[in-house]
Amino acid sequence: MSLHDPVPAPEDAGIQIRNLTVSYDTDRGRFHALNDVTLDIRPRHITGFIGESGSGKTTLAMAMMNAIHNPGRIDGGSVLLEGAGDVLRLKGEELRRLHGRYFGFVFQASSNSLNPLKRIGAQLMDLGRSHGVTDLRALLREAKTLAERMGMDGDRVLTSYQHELSGGMRQRVGIIFALVLKARVIILDEPTTALDMLSQQAVLEIVRTIHQERGLTTVIITHDMGVVAEMADRVVVLYAGRVVEEGPTQSVLRHPRHPYTRGLIHAIPRITGNLHDVEPLQGTPPDLATIPTIGCVFRERCPIRAPICDTVAPTPTSAHGDGIVTCHGVDQHD
Amino acid sequence: MQLARRIVVRLFGGAIMVLVVAIFTFFLVRLMPGNPVAAEYNTLIMRGMTPVQAADEVRVMYGYIPHEPLIDQYFHYLWQLLHFNLGQSISYEGVSVLHIVLSDAPWTIVLVLLGLITSFILGVTAGVIAAVKRSSGIGNVLTVSGSLLHGIPQFVVALLLAFLFTTLWPIFPFGAPYNASLTAGFNLPFIGSVAYHAILPVSAYAISSYGGWMLTMKSSVISVLGDDFVLAAELRGVKPRIRFGYIARNAILPLFTVFALSLGFMFGGSLFIENIFDYNGLGNLLVTSISNRDYPLMSGAFLFITIAVILSNIVADFLYSVVDPRIRRST
Ligand SMILES: Nc1ncnc2c1ncn2[C@@H]1O[C@H](COP(=O)(O)OP(=O)(O)OP(=O)(O)O)[C@@H](O)[C@H]1O
Ligand SMILES: [Mg+2]
Repeated sequence: MSLHDPVPAPEDAGIQIRNLTVSYDTDRGRFHALNDVTLDIRPRHITGFIGESGSGKTTLAMAMMNAIHNPGRIDGGSVLLEGAGDVLRLKGEELRRLHGRYFGFVFQASSNSLNPLKRIGAQLMDLGRSHGVTDLRALLREAKTLAERMGMDGDRVLTSYQHELSGGMRQRVGIIFALVLKARVIILDEPTTALDMLSQQAVLEIVRTIHQERGLTTVIITHDMGVVAEMADRVVVLYAGRVVEEGPTQSVLRHPRHPYTRGLIHAIPRITGNLHDVEPLQGTPPDLATIPTIGCVFRERCPIRAPICDTVAPTPTSAHGDGIVTCHGVDQHD
Repeated sequence: MQLARRIVVRLFGGAIMVLVVAIFTFFLVRLMPGNPVAAEYNTLIMRGMTPVQAADEVRVMYGYIPHEPLIDQYFHYLWQLLHFNLGQSISYEGVSVLHIVLSDAPWTIVLVLLGLITSFILGVTAGVIAAVKRSSGIGNVLTVSGSLLHGIPQFVVALLLAFLFTTLWPIFPFGAPYNASLTAGFNLPFIGSVAYHAILPVSAYAISSYGGWMLTMKSSVISVLGDDFVLAAELRGVKPRIRFGYIARNAILPLFTVFALSLGFMFGGSLFIENIFDYNGLGNLLVTSISNRDYPLMSGAFLFITIAVILSNIVADFLYSVVDPRIRRST
C-alpha cells in the first residue's frame, strides 16, 4: 500500500498531556470538564480510561486530538505527540492530516458514524483521497481483510449502506475506518457497547492483535471493568475531570488506592471474586455545576473523608510503582 | 428492474389521480350555476338549430350531450378525453381546447420551472450560509430576509414588482411573452426578447418561494451539522470539500418533499402572476376562461395544470428515491 506519510509517524507514538484544562459553556455557566490533567500515554501500550458517565473520558480523548468543538474550549495545557509536537498548536490542514492518519478514533456512538447516503466502500475511498492514498484498491482490499478478520463478509460490507448493517456491524465498520489508514494511535470510545458477548470478544481480540502487530498506542474508553482487566496494560481513573489514579492494570485493579477506584471496582463482583465485597458506589456522579471548587471533589462521597479534604485539593503522589494517586487518605489507609 | 416497476406503479397512480380530477372537472362544469351546457344547448336551439344539430354542436364543445343520463355523459366525456379531445372553446369559436391549452402551457411551465430553479438555487445557497454563519451578522440578515419574503403572498410580490418596474421605473416590458414584431423561432433576438419578458414573472415566482427554501435548508443544515457522522468525518480527516458534499446531500433531502408541494403552489400562483403581468400562460387562460364563461376551455386548462402538478410530483418523488438509498431499497 502506498501511503507516503505527510505526517511524521515515529514507531513509538507516546503522548504527554500536561495541565490540560477544558471547559464547556452551558446554560448554567462555564464548567471545567477537564481540570489540570497531566498524564502520559505510553507508546505501544493499551491504556484504559475508566470513570462514571460524565467523568470526562470522551472529552479527554477529544482534547488529545485537539478536536474540542463549541460549546467546548481548551483553556490551557499541552498535548505532546512524539515526533509531531504540541497537537494543541496545530490547526487547519496540519490538524486534518493528523486526524485519521495519526489518530484513529472510534466513536462512542459509532453506529452513526457514517454518511447514510453513501456506500461504505465509497466512504473509504473518500477517506483515502483525503489522505493522499494513491492506490485506493489496495485500501479497499485492506478494509476487506479487516472486515473479514472481524467476522464479517468483506464484499457485503463495502457495498452496503449504513442502514443495511446491524448495530454491531456498524461499530466494527467504525473500527475499520480507524485502522485502515494505519494510524499510530487508536482511540476507541466504548467500542463494544452495541455488541453481544461473542462479537465483543472477537472485536477485542482483533484490536489486541492489530495493536501488537503494528506496535500501536491504543486507548480504550469503557465502563466495563472486564474489558479493562482483559485488554489494558495501564488504567487511568477519571473523576469529575481529574485523574484520580493511574498505574499498571494489575496493580490498580488488585490494589486500588483511591477510594473512588475502590468503589468502582467493588461495584462489580466478577473482578474481585468476593461477593461480600460488592457494594455500589455511594452517592451520585458529580454534576459539573455543583462540584466543590475548594478541597477534594470526591469528598462528599468518600468513605475516608478527613478534615483536610474540605480545604485542600489533593496533589498526585506516586503509587503502583510508576503510577499516581490523588488522595489525602492514601498513606493512612493502604 | 425494481426501479422500472416503481415507475410503472407511480405512473399508474398518477393516471388514477388524473381520472379523479377529470371526474371533478366534469361535475364542476355540470354543477356550475346556470348549467352552462344546457344553456349553450338552449341558445343554439333558439338560434334555430334542430335539437340534433344543437346536440352535435354541444357535444363537440363539451364532449357530451346535455340530455343524456349523467353517467353516459361522463363516459362520453372520458372517452373523448382518452382521445385527447377536450372539446372546443366557446370564446375562441371553433378552436379546439387542446390546441389553445397546448400553445399556452409551455410558457407557464417554463416560467414556473425557471422561477422554481432560481429560487431553489438561491434559497439553498443562502440557507447553507445562514446555517454555517448563524451566529454572525450575515447569517442573521439572511434569516430575516428569508422570514420576511416567506411571509409575503405571491400576488403582493407580483403587484409590487409590476408597479416598481413597469410603472415607476419602466425598465421591463409588460404583457405578452415576447416582442410580437420578432419572428418566433430559434434566433437570438427572439430568445432575448422571451428572456426579457420573462424576467419579472420569473422573479415573482422566485422571490415568493425563496424564503421557504432558505428557511427549510437552514434548519436542515443545522440539524445535519449536529449529526455524529459529520464530526466522525472531520475526526477522520476527511477533506473539507468532501465533507461539505456529505452535509449538502444529507441536508437537501428533506427539501424534496417541499419541492413537490412547492410546484403545486407555484402552478396555483400562475393564476395571479400571469394575470398581473398579463402574460399568456395557463394561469391567465384559466382566469380569462372563467370570466368569459368558456367552460370547455376552463376545464381543459384546469385539467392540464393538474396533470402538470401530478407529473412533477412523480418526478420529485422519483428524484428523492434516487438520492436516498434508504427509500430506494425499501420500496
Ligand atoms: N457538548 C457539550 N456541551 C456541554 N457539556 C458537555 C458537552 N460534552 C460534554 N459535556 C460535559 O462534560 C462532562 C464530561 O463529558 P464526557 O462526554 O467527556 O463524559 P464521559 O466520561 O465520556 O461520559 P460517558 O461515559 O457517559 O460517555 C460532562 O459533565 C458533560 O455534561
Ligand atoms: Mg463518553
